[in-house]
Amino acid sequence: MIELENIVVTFNPGTILENKVLRNVSLTVPDGQFLSIIGSNGAGKSTILGAVSGETPLIRGSVKINGQDVTKWPVHKRASLAARVFQDPLAGTCGSLSIEENLALAYKRGRHRGWPMAVNNARRKIFQERVAILGLGLENRLGDSIGLLSGGQRQAVSLIMASLSDSKVILLDEHTAALDPRMALFVMDLTEKIIKEFNLTVMMVTHSMKDALAHGSRTIMLHQGEIVLDVEGEQRDKMEVKDLLEMFSTVRNEELSDDSLLLS
Amino acid sequence: MSLFAFLGTLEIGLIYGLVALGVYLSFRVLDFPDLTVDGTFPLGSAVAAAAIMAGVDPWVATLLAFLIGGIAGWVTAFLTVKCGILNLLASILTMIALFSINVRIMGRPNIALLGVDTIVTPFENMDLAALYMRPLFVFVMVLISSFFIVRLLNSDFGLALRATGVNPRMVKAQGGATNFYIYFGLALSNGFVGLAGALFTQLNGFADVTSGAGTIVVGLAAVILGQTLFPSRRVSVAIFAIVFGSVLYRFAISLALSSGMFGLQASDLNLITAILVALALIAPKLKHAKKLRQAVQKSQKEG
Repeated sequence: MIELENIVVTFNPGTILENKVLRNVSLTVPDGQFLSIIGSNGAGKSTILGAVSGETPLIRGSVKINGQDVTKWPVHKRASLAARVFQDPLAGTCGSLSIEENLALAYKRGRHRGWPMAVNNARRKIFQERVAILGLGLENRLGDSIGLLSGGQRQAVSLIMASLSDSKVILLDEHTAALDPRMALFVMDLTEKIIKEFNLTVMMVTHSMKDALAHGSRTIMLHQGEIVLDVEGEQRDKMEVKDLLEMFSTVRNEELSDDSLLLS
Repeated sequence: MSLFAFLGTLEIGLIYGLVALGVYLSFRVLDFPDLTVDGTFPLGSAVAAAAIMAGVDPWVATLLAFLIGGIAGWVTAFLTVKCGILNLLASILTMIALFSINVRIMGRPNIALLGVDTIVTPFENMDLAALYMRPLFVFVMVLISSFFIVRLLNSDFGLALRATGVNPRMVKAQGGATNFYIYFGLALSNGFVGLAGALFTQLNGFADVTSGAGTIVVGLAAVILGQTLFPSRRVSVAIFAIVFGSVLYRFAISLALSSGMFGLQASDLNLITAILVALALIAPKLKHAKKLRQAVQKSQKEG
């Protein structure tokens, strides 16, 4: 479970560049829920994930993961409770290490890293089983440098890495945005599969309204640092992309009328 | 080259092999351009010499040099991580501070280890065998150090250390405290350089505060030379390659200086080193450019 309470995030506070990115956002994601987050550029989608992962410093508010108050925890400590997959396939994996070494790094997420060999036969067996889920034949080339893989393949491995240790929360930050349409589809299907198999709690930021509605059980829309739409269940099932687009233009128009008031 | 000169070159090449291991840890593993080593090498010398002259057991003095070298690396890491000073500049600050500290430790700019026992004293009564024992002794030290580093870098801890130099954001996302790895890596790197300084001093019977000038370039030359000759992603191969590179570098230098055919003198050492490192850095690029040119020509012929 993820609980965000009265989150305020301001970039460059006290300067002329001051930008209120999140304005008093509260959000609870119960165990096992798959939440998708949409919104225009600068709406605060990625910032809300940053608030959970610890990469974004908060002005106010508190963050709880699985009941544990992590507001003051640094990024690496929070990693024990929440796994992440980045937008850039190169960011989530280490290019100079082999596939199995990358998996070994993720295998020890949130646990003590000591003197034992990072890759041994027992672990290799676990990695092979997990990577076989992908159906890419990577289980036979675990020793290859991960730099040899395509962006989509690396993103697929990132997903496996996120599910390797036993944390139950996963944060997906536009993780298919940098891929070609075919590979994006593959990675999205795989995401669905892994989430079901390991019963994960998910926050997924996406730029694709189609994906936002097609996957998961709840969708929120952010606009200017506030949650302007929060749908689940039957109401969401009936929604289509064009309804979301309408919502988008409604909030946009409000923004315009605000401006016209200012300018008149 | 006489046998005497050959063994001497081998010995100094192996001592600087330890320096190269340290430089590999900072430059290659952590991607941290650490010039502290120019100060850490004489620091190791100074600590070992001062301790031995004060009556400390030479093995304990050597260990002390390793530990205090590590502290110097820790200081550079502190200046970078905690104080936010640019890594290269932070290491230069520690390096120049060490010059003063080294003179303080010794009480004067140099010390001659006369009439005291060092870790190589047992070999000195062996007559001719001593000639072979000295490089063999350094070789064993390098072997133990290399084994330790290879094993470390293949452990869970070492894997995170290696990834820290390539993709720190990813390491954090996987729960690794990148700052801690930078502290540890730099301390270990400078520990090995301090150890090299301590061995150098005991084998040559003196410690001199100026002996550190150019340590970084020599270490880097060994790393680059070795990895150009034996390129590999495997840590074990890389470690072997840089120790080999260090020895090879020494032989190249000593041949160039002793043959007299180029009219070179001892003070040309730095110029030759700089040219050697520059060539080793350019070589892979030239190779790449040549392949590209060939591919273009081939496609023109076909097209």
